[in-house]
Amino acid sequence: MQDRPTASELLDTIADLLEQELLAATQGPLQHAVRVAGNLCRILEREARRGAAQDAREAELLASVLGETPGSRDVLALSRTLVERLDAGADAALAQRAWPALVEIVRGKLAIAKPGHDAWDFTAELE
Amino acid sequence: MNPFEQTRDGLAAFLAKVWGNRVEVENLSIASAGARRRNVLFDALRNGERIPLVATIIPNAAVQIMPIEVEAAHLRFAEAAGMPAPHVHAVCEDASYVGGPFFVTSRIAGETIPRQVLRLVEKNPPLGPRLARQCGEALAKLHAADPAGAHPRITAAGADPIEATLRAVEALVRSLLQPSPAFTLALRTLERERPPPPARLSVVHGDFRNGNLIVGPDGLRAALDWEICHVGDPMEDLGWLCQRMWRFRNDALEVGGFGSRPDLAAGYEAAGCSFDAARFHWWKTMGTLRWGLGLAGQAKAHLDGSVPSIVMAASGRRVAELEWDVLMLLRRSLA
Repeated sequence: MQDRPTASELLDTIADLLEQELLAATQGPLQHAVRVAGNLCRILEREARRGAAQDAREAELLASVLGETPGSRDVLALSRTLVERLDAGADAALAQRAWPALVEIVRGKLAIAKPGHDAWDFTAELE
Repeated sequence: MNPFEQTRDGLAAFLAKVWGNRVEVENLSIASAGARRRNVLFDALRNGERIPLVATIIPNAAVQIMPIEVEAAHLRFAEAAGMPAPHVHAVCEDASYVGGPFFVTSRIAGETIPRQVLRLVEKNPPLGPRLARQCGEALAKLHAADPAGAHPRITAAGADPIEATLRAVEALVRSLLQPSPAFTLALRTLERERPPPPARLSVVHGDFRNGNLIVGPDGLRAALDWEICHVGDPMEDLGWLCQRMWRFRNDALEVGGFGSRPDLAAGYEAAGCSFDAARFHWWKTMGTLRWGLGLAGQAKAHLDGSVPSIVMAASGRRVAELEWDVLMLLRRSLA
């Protein structure tokens, strides 16, 4: 085990440096790059805390959509199989089964990459 | 001579040749300097008259999407159709003046940065619905014009732009660095629910959105950035304009974060075109999928070394936002 600070704590520290001191000391395109770097550190900080649990939940949901035993294959392999089956189009009910699982998976990705993005669900514009 | 002076003197020499007068260039400033194009603002002085202009320069002809004279022809086509667009004063294919081919257009005052546009609307609330309506009118004027009058080298997807778009997007989905079941689900659903080919083809701007509009207190003054203008389904432009990505957090205002769909559609129909809600929804969903694939493509361009940039890298972590948006837009079909 590495010593404290944890990866998550260090990423927050780097983000603070970028967003507070470096942002004020730069301008133009470099300032934009610093802002982006700060935001990426915040994303990685959340990923360090929740990434493993999110991947496990994603694998579980994909396995369930595909009718496989959970834990037998990783997320990438399961995603690839789901894409192949959706492309083949042989199982008419697959799309309906996949939709709620993918919504939950993407919600989990957003909790790391862009918290709050899922607050807008387009209801008003689907009528 | 530094590049700044070179651009200034090059513009003066070119305009003097075109206009047959002595021309001086003043107040030169670089408005934007991307990898594919540079926008330079300047005043030309001719016989004591001061003319506010913009030069759009392609610094590297190898990366231009369409030849400069074709893009200039699209601007002229739009202006002739009655759509607000910058007036083209001159086109120069000779790269020796300013280091690349360029065109010179009138400079139109107003806001172009999305958040500044939204701030303008915030200060003057009636501007929002007016702007949405003007966007509808402007697009209707462009779409009503006969595409036979466009430049012969305009990109055209054939008689069925729906099919052409599906095939292009399928290729992009296949080339993703990692599989996206959400995007595959979107592609296959859009394929199953595709509308028939449009009754008539139009010249389509292709990137008409908050960010490519010049807006003043009176409303829409011009549409910019015509480099992906093509012949296609007119509803493509309306769907693209209404993507969530161009609302800049004003999610409830479907049109660019400033207006509502009924205002947009009313303007479009008042100017003589018909708004097709089902086709609009299809193109809006397709546009969302395409933008998601575009972001994934930016991350890929960073990772393969063709455009190394932290901004491009960060785009990869924005893909989930578009996966969410496209899944929500598919809800009527799948949930």
